[in-house]
Amino acid sequence: MAAEAGPAPAGPPAQGVPGDHSPGTAQWGSAGRAVLTSPALRVTGKRLLSAVPVLWGVTFLTFVVMNVLPGDTAQELLGANATPAELQTLRLKLHLNEPFWVRYWHWLSGAAQGHLGDSLVSGQPVTSILGQRLPVTFELMIYTFCLSVLIAVPVAAAAAYRPGGLVDRLSMMLSMAGLSIAPYVLALLLVLIFAVNLRVLPAIGFVPLSQSVVGNIKSLTLPALSIGLPLACFYIRLLRADIVEQMQSEDYVVTARAKGVAPWQVLIRHALRNSMFGFLTVLGLNLGTLIGALVIIEPIFSLPGIGQVLLQSISDRDVVVVEAVVLVFALIVVLANLLTDLLYAVLDPRIRYGRPSA
Amino acid sequence: MAAPLPDTLLAPGVAVPAPAGAAARRRRRALAPDILIPAAILALIAGGCFLWPLVYPVPAPVGGSILSAGLPPFSPGHILGTDPVGNDILSRILYGGRVSIEVGLAVTLIGLVIGGVMGSVAAYSGGIVDTVLMRVLDVLIAFPALVLAVAIAEGLGPSELHVIWALSFFSVPAFARIARAGTLRLHGQTFMLAARLSGTKAWRILLRHVTPNVLPQLITFGLLGMGVIIILEGALSFLGLGIPDPAPSWGNMIALGQGTLSAQPVLVLIPSLFLLATVLSLNLLGDALRKRWGVR
Repeated sequence: MAAEAGPAPAGPPAQGVPGDHSPGTAQWGSAGRAVLTSPALRVTGKRLLSAVPVLWGVTFLTFVVMNVLPGDTAQELLGANATPAELQTLRLKLHLNEPFWVRYWHWLSGAAQGHLGDSLVSGQPVTSILGQRLPVTFELMIYTFCLSVLIAVPVAAAAAYRPGGLVDRLSMMLSMAGLSIAPYVLALLLVLIFAVNLRVLPAIGFVPLSQSVVGNIKSLTLPALSIGLPLACFYIRLLRADIVEQMQSEDYVVTARAKGVAPWQVLIRHALRNSMFGFLTVLGLNLGTLIGALVIIEPIFSLPGIGQVLLQSISDRDVVVVEAVVLVFALIVVLANLLTDLLYAVLDPRIRYGRPSA
Repeated sequence: MAAPLPDTLLAPGVAVPAPAGAAARRRRRALAPDILIPAAILALIAGGCFLWPLVYPVPAPVGGSILSAGLPPFSPGHILGTDPVGNDILSRILYGGRVSIEVGLAVTLIGLVIGGVMGSVAAYSGGIVDTVLMRVLDVLIAFPALVLAVAIAEGLGPSELHVIWALSFFSVPAFARIARAGTLRLHGQTFMLAARLSGTKAWRILLRHVTPNVLPQLITFGLLGMGVIIILEGALSFLGLGIPDPAPSWGNMIALGQGTLSAQPVLVLIPSLFLLATVLSLNLLGDALRKRWGVR
């Protein structure tokens, strides 16, 4: 959910004693211990293993949902006027007449070996469909992600510099408004302003990176902004609240200030750095929201991404394609969370040096 | 909550002088504007949608005459104008708002009740029940919920009831997670121990001790979540999978207006404005209540 209340509970590393960077005491293990044996890696391994049942559950749930839907691919392909005989032949050809469990097992054993199968509708291998469409979606995702973080971090830092000040109140008001605007409404507004009135950016279509770099960025700017702006507003509020809390309650801030470090330097070098941990977790968790928004935004800008494929294949009852797309989405979410954990290990000395978890 | 640190450095442990506390007390006594204003706007929108058509006759939201099509706002008889098929826009906004509010309320309540019970029971009983429930929620959370929503709407046919079912798949796991975390936090508390030691039954502890402690958090989350649900209802309508066409909803009004965006932007802007006002008020109200109740 985009407006998840408050900062999500950060993993164990964000709790404990922020700012306490002393690797000292023997029970924390020697500082020289290699990253390889660190708990971070063990946690990663455990996370990877626990991801397997989750991924399996997702594919199973998808199969069940697609199976429960009335109508099947044969019906969708041949239309309402098809004779029963025609339907029967096509079903036999597509193995749709086999029982649910057999079909699922067939798909699962294939997928486990890396064969995602062929589209029931076009007969194209799913991997080639993904190969065509995924780059567009990935590019949009990365662009959106960078845009939202690049907007959020400086604004949050500026707002937190003087809590209750003009910048703070203004950015809080604007971010609340931005948080409340639906991505599809924002998309239409942006099209109205930048494409219809100002005519500076294209309203629809996609220019591949290989054709023109500038054209590519231009064609993705409006879609990325429509998803990225509300997301940035969410991040601004979260990060600002965390920085303010750090600045007001942490001993290391007092120490730094007493040492004579300038307030903005304390904010950037100490508070912001510590706040980034909680922020990273939220970024990882939020990828799911981002994916949901992509599915709606892609058709508005007629971007040939994975969202369009997904909508089309659900309406075609093309289980094979739907399964593949859902699997990719779930994998992205799982991997993003894993990456977050690993980043923790890289950024936080307490984990890097193997402090036992509480 | 941490004591605010003024520009001068305070020694740790020094109590903060009274003004902040006094202000907070004064705010608690009177109804604070940060709660009153969004609540009033919400009441106005909801009252308008549900009561106005009863008190003051508005034209039907569907079946308008093509003769009065495409009227601009402030036309006689049609304050907000008419759409390209001649339906009164104000009437469509009011009836469409009913759908948005009904869906938002229903989905939030379903999430609050089912998710809340699931989460607190899981956290309270622990062990295998907790593990199994949490695994199921993990799957639901990793599953792109929009896929499920699209599949349900697509398979069962677009209708308000199906939209509610579909969107509940978003709200139930979210509420369950929060209820679980809130209940886990209560675990070591003395009053929980006292209740258990005095032989109180589990359901009674859940009802009398856990619920009042977890509820503020769930309600503030519910207000914020309701905004998201109303936006998602619009998204489903936008994809043609929400409220079927002739009947109005803010989402499908925006979607229909998309076609004439450059010629008649009003058709998109008016429902968007109502959508924004509603969601913004919900967010402001949720935020204000969160501050007042001191929940995170």
